[in-house]
Amino acid sequence: MGTFAAIGIAGSGLDVYRKWIDAVSDNLANINTVRASDEAAFQARYIVAQANDNQGGDSGGVHVAGAAFGSAEGRLVYEPGHPLADNEGYVRYPDIDMSSQMVQLIMAQRGYQANAAVIDRAKDMYTTALTIGRN
Amino acid sequence: MSIPPISALSAAAPASFVQPTQATQAAGNTDGAFGTSLASAIDGLQAMQSTSSALAIKAVTGDLADVHDYTIASTQAAVAMELTATIRNRAVDAFNEIMRMQA
Repeated sequence: MGTFAAIGIAGSGLDVYRKWIDAVSDNLANINTVRASDEAAFQARYIVAQANDNQGGDSGGVHVAGAAFGSAEGRLVYEPGHPLADNEGYVRYPDIDMSSQMVQLIMAQRGYQANAAVIDRAKDMYTTALTIGRN
Repeated sequence: MSIPPISALSAAAPASFVQPTQATQAAGNTDGAFGTSLASAIDGLQAMQSTSSALAIKAVTGDLADVHDYTIASTQAAVAMELTATIRNRAVDAFNEIMRMQA
């Protein structure tokens, strides 16, 4: 990555945290997505982060290796008045815990901020290096 | 006290005439090397700036996937620009310093 290695590495972190926030927002948006009891529930999406290969020593960073999905089982809720309810009055809600999603949201946001701070500091550092011996 | 340098002076003159040409050739080579590396640095800078402006166009047209892609590219282009300008200014300073030299 050369001169701007720190910026590139922190940029890969920003990518991962952005995707994490995307996944959390998808989960929260679908937290009330109801399906009929004979269908699979909406599956929560989780990001699998993986460190980049750093054999040379000057690269590094992180990338999203893929997504993992939560249970398709969901949870059965008794709502006889619901249009999708089965004969016994059950519908299927996704198995997503809102507080856990909110915590993940905070973690992703803080991670994003940390990486953005690294980029700022790295830029300041490079600018400082350019002023060496100016006067 | 003898003063032999008169003959030595005439002997030294051709040598001092030859030396500057060698020095000029060496300086010419160095100039080429510096020019080449400066040119390649400017090529890299131009690539960074075109990446940055392509991302800026994407941002305006709504095709930008990641906001930070653009800000990072523009930061890199700005720092690289500053770096190239600093190197060029230092080179010009060095040249001016040499031009100010007097015997």
